[in-house]
Amino acid sequence: MSEFLVELQDVWRTYNQGAEPVHALQGVSLQIKESEYVAIMGTSGSGKSTLMNLLGCLDRPSQGHYLLAGTDISSRNEDELAEIRNRMVGFVFQQFNLLPSMSALDNVMLPLVYAGVQKEQRIMRAQQALKELGLGNRMEHKPSELSGGQQQRVAIARSIVNKPRILLADEPTGALDSHTAKEIMALFTKLTEEGITVILVTHDPETAACARRIVKVRDGKILEDLMIGKVQ
Amino acid sequence: MSNRLRSSLTVLGIVIGIASVITLLGIGKGAQTEAEKQVQSLGTNLIFVRPGSSSTSSISLGQGTSQTLTYEDSQAIKKNCPAVLDVAPQYSSNLQAQYGERNTLTTVNATEPSYTTIRSFRPARGRFFNETEMREEARVCVLGDTVALDLFGNLDPLKKKILIRGELFDVIGIMEHKGANYNIDMDDQIFIPISTGYSALFGLSQVTGRTVKSILVEAKPQEDELAQFQITNLLRFRHNIVAPQGDDFMLRTQSDIMQAAQSITGVFSLLLGTTAGISLVVGGIGIMNIMLVSVTERTKEIGIRKAIGAKYNQILSQFVIEATLMSVSGGIVGILLGVGCSNALSTMANWKAIVSTESILLSFFVSLGIGLFFGIYPARKAAKLDPIVALRSE
Ligand SMILES: Nc1ncnc2c1ncn2[C@@H]1O[C@H](COP(=O)(O)OP(=O)(O)OP(=O)(O)O)[C@@H](O)[C@H]1O
Ligand SMILES: [Mg+2]
Repeated sequence: MSEFLVELQDVWRTYNQGAEPVHALQGVSLQIKESEYVAIMGTSGSGKSTLMNLLGCLDRPSQGHYLLAGTDISSRNEDELAEIRNRMVGFVFQQFNLLPSMSALDNVMLPLVYAGVQKEQRIMRAQQALKELGLGNRMEHKPSELSGGQQQRVAIARSIVNKPRILLADEPTGALDSHTAKEIMALFTKLTEEGITVILVTHDPETAACARRIVKVRDGKILEDLMIGKVQ
Repeated sequence: MSNRLRSSLTVLGIVIGIASVITLLGIGKGAQTEAEKQVQSLGTNLIFVRPGSSSTSSISLGQGTSQTLTYEDSQAIKKNCPAVLDVAPQYSSNLQAQYGERNTLTTVNATEPSYTTIRSFRPARGRFFNETEMREEARVCVLGDTVALDLFGNLDPLKKKILIRGELFDVIGIMEHKGANYNIDMDDQIFIPISTGYSALFGLSQVTGRTVKSILVEAKPQEDELAQFQITNLLRFRHNIVAPQGDDFMLRTQSDIMQAAQSITGVFSLLLGTTAGISLVVGGIGIMNIMLVSVTERTKEIGIRKAIGAKYNQILSQFVIEATLMSVSGGIVGILLGVGCSNALSTMANWKAIVSTESILLSFFVSLGIGLFFGIYPARKAAKLDPIVALRSE
């Protein structure tokens, strides 16, 4: 097995929807180890979300290989990808993406439902995840009854409840004020200390500064790969 | 939630469809039971022998119009057919009956004493005429209960004398109430000995030929087929009918009549069932439509569910279950409504609509099936969505 949790090998992603094909990723190679904290930066349209979709197994490379914990994603079918997402990946979105008709607890339990976990186990684990994020007294609230910061914490609880190896966050603080954003970033730091690999996309240099590694993307290529605290 | 209102409206199609299925099957079943009851009330092991235009003759006069069956035929059947238990010849005619100022036009049914046992139709008060009165051509009569009411009102008709076409008859009995039976009001009849009828009312004698309108035959238990065979052979022999010639009489058994009744009510049920079926299909399409709208509206939700690990079948079953829940809840409301309608109809009409357990089970599974069938297409559409596209939708 590879020493890397995430390994992209000359990955291309081409969209063929328009008149001419769009090469959103053009030969990206990237290696990320267990419990790293990576921020991906770049201008709009540079391919960050495309990269995140690939890393999260929502998508497959048009060319090249993606190894996640040693398994090649390129050759997996939809249901296998769904299972990998369920077991290995947690997603945090800019717009939280909670299901509005469900309580916080039910939202957090959802990944466990798809994992086939027993009901008592589900409730126990979801309650624990919410408590860890300081939402012990908000479990029965609907998303519409929670503040933005609280909703994002519910979303983070949902993303970590099934103990993923990596957590992907596309602009997780984009919809939050700077104070709440700091709290969320602190949470990510804590999660990396517990062994989860966090990869986040941000425009904000201050947010990116929390990470221990910054990958800069432009026109579908990696422009820079800076590691803090490590002499290259 | 406005979704709830929308779902309820959609499900209305199923509710109405299932309610009609239940009501209509109930009516059909009730009609069939009623028909069977009527046929049963004719008596048991009955064979009707009627004069009949032969099927080979070019000019058909319709059944019962020819005068080929005679009183002697009925006696011969009784004497010569071992499978026959008893016979009752009938000659009936519509005549005026009178008591004092009151009169009524009624059916005078001239027959033999055996009639009561064969038709299982007996006097409620007084008695039926007997063999002695038959032999003596006695002027006695038994009134059906409608006739008794028409002529006597509150008075007791027993031991009174009435006029039938100007001839005096003693009233010796009043029949039990029987009701209508295939367009014949069994209670609007006067029974007299057939011998008296021939001599006093119909002006028929052995010389002119004593014809009968029909012969009722009761076969021995389990021997009605044998009895039919024997009667047919005997009558062909007596009427000199040989091979290519058609019969001038016809035999009908109780089971023939029952089958005819059942096929009529069967067609009735089928027709009504088809109507209900159409409204169910329309209801099903309504559910499919609302599910398609729901899939479109909830594309984002589907994307989120897929992102956190929902597989194809998990999304599929979520939407199929939703569709099925809708159609089944519509079905249950429809069943309740249908049972209510059937009961309401039963109290309004004088015969019962019968809701069977089978029709309830059928309705339940039909509504379940509709949910599955019409839910599967929208559900597949949801399950096949690309998670990235779904997530990006608003
Ligand atoms: N589904 C798609 N079909 C066609 N082209 C696409 C599709 N998704 C992305 N693209 C194109 O790929 C390129 C990269 O898009 P991507 O969403 O990855 O950018 P981004 O870095 O996330 O931008 P932003 O910061 O605005 O979110 C863009 O040129 C975009 O137009
Ligand atoms: Mg983006």
